[in-house]
Amino acid sequence: MIKATIYWIFIICFQILILNHLDISTYIYPQVFIILLIAFPLHIKKSYQIIGAFSLGLFIDFLVYTPGIHTSACLWLMGLRMLILDRQDLVEQTNNRWSYSIQNVGFVPFSYTALILVFFYHFYVLWLEGIGHINVSHLLITGVSSSLLSLLIIGIFEALSIRQIE
Amino acid sequence: MQRLIAFIEHNLHILLLVFLQVVSAFLIFNLNPYQKATFTQFASSVTGRFHAISFNVTNYFDLKKQNIALQEQIANQFKDRYPQSLNYLNDTIAIQDSINNQLFEAIPVHVIYNTSFKVNNVFIINKGKNHGIKKNMGVISPQGVAGIVLESNDNFSTVMSLLNSEMKIIPYINGQEYFTELIWNNSNPNHLTLKGINKLENIQLGDTVYTGNSSLLFPRGIPIGSITKIKENPKSQYAEMELKTVTNFRNLAYAFVIVNRDYESLNNLFLND
Repeated sequence: MIKATIYWIFIICFQILILNHLDISTYIYPQVFIILLIAFPLHIKKSYQIIGAFSLGLFIDFLVYTPGIHTSACLWLMGLRMLILDRQDLVEQTNNRWSYSIQNVGFVPFSYTALILVFFYHFYVLWLEGIGHINVSHLLITGVSSSLLSLLIIGIFEALSIRQIE
Repeated sequence: MQRLIAFIEHNLHILLLVFLQVVSAFLIFNLNPYQKATFTQFASSVTGRFHAISFNVTNYFDLKKQNIALQEQIANQFKDRYPQSLNYLNDTIAIQDSINNQLFEAIPVHVIYNTSFKVNNVFIINKGKNHGIKKNMGVISPQGVAGIVLESNDNFSTVMSLLNSEMKIIPYINGQEYFTELIWNNSNPNHLTLKGINKLENIQLGDTVYTGNSSLLFPRGIPIGSITKIKENPKSQYAEMELKTVTNFRNLAYAFVIVNRDYESLNNLFLND
């Protein structure tokens, strides 16, 4: 429990203090903290998962002052995750109260889920932030580049956690 | 009830998701200035379009009510406009003081039947004796003179149209009353003939013909038509004129019956004279 809490705090701090201040390009806006939702433990009741997503999104919103934007995106992400995971065979992982990770579910299912959720999240947040005056090319470039960077960082975290366990 | 509870229990996460999304949307569009402005703009655009469509639809269904309201409005304006119409009578005939206040009223009516192609055209209006309408009351359209009430029963009245060979009105042109008569000779709908006016009179094409002072049925100055043709016969000192009525009898739908409160007493005076 403590380990998980420290992991959550670390990821949120990493997002708020480092990634949000990356000044590489206007087209890069990675949201790595969503790994916390992607990897949410499988045995937790769906309604609690929704509340968890809402709480995390609200917390991030308060930190970056984007009221409601990350909250809404986190809720949709969690809903979409439920749809995707319902199509995967995760009975063993659920019974063992495992989290959703490469180590627990395998590389392909995890990559598939993470790819969809990360792309969805970035595009949704970018759309919501620019609602009404969307520049499609900017949205596409920023969405793809930010999603790819986020996937890369998430991949690194997953690799590190596997190595740590080994 | 148990089924409902089971349904809610089974779909609690979906209901929760929807509810929390609504909360998020509230936060987004209330606390983010940019999103708020965009949402307000979008909402006003949507509601604007909706109201435009709604207005078009309801306006169409509401036309009847609007027409009645307009008729009443015109009737009220009419009351204000002609309070002094027969003031000249004060100087010539002994009339009670009350006449100074108001001589005419207008009762809005609907034309429910109308002809314009016969020798003697009439139209029927939807009000009669119960509404204060009697024989020999003038009837005007929103444009001008339309006819005179022929007969009334309790709820309907027959009106002799201006397009009737029996119809006779004394014209008033360019500030002068001509004691001749306007006649409909059944030649052309909406066109009347005016005979017996001296060629030397200064009457031009396009001059408007109004009701004059001599009528007890119509207030002075109600348009009848405008001169469209002047025929001069070298052998006669009189010109024959044709005028087009301002009232279009082919689509006459609304009219006003003119009530001269003192018609009977004035008429008696004339008859005694």
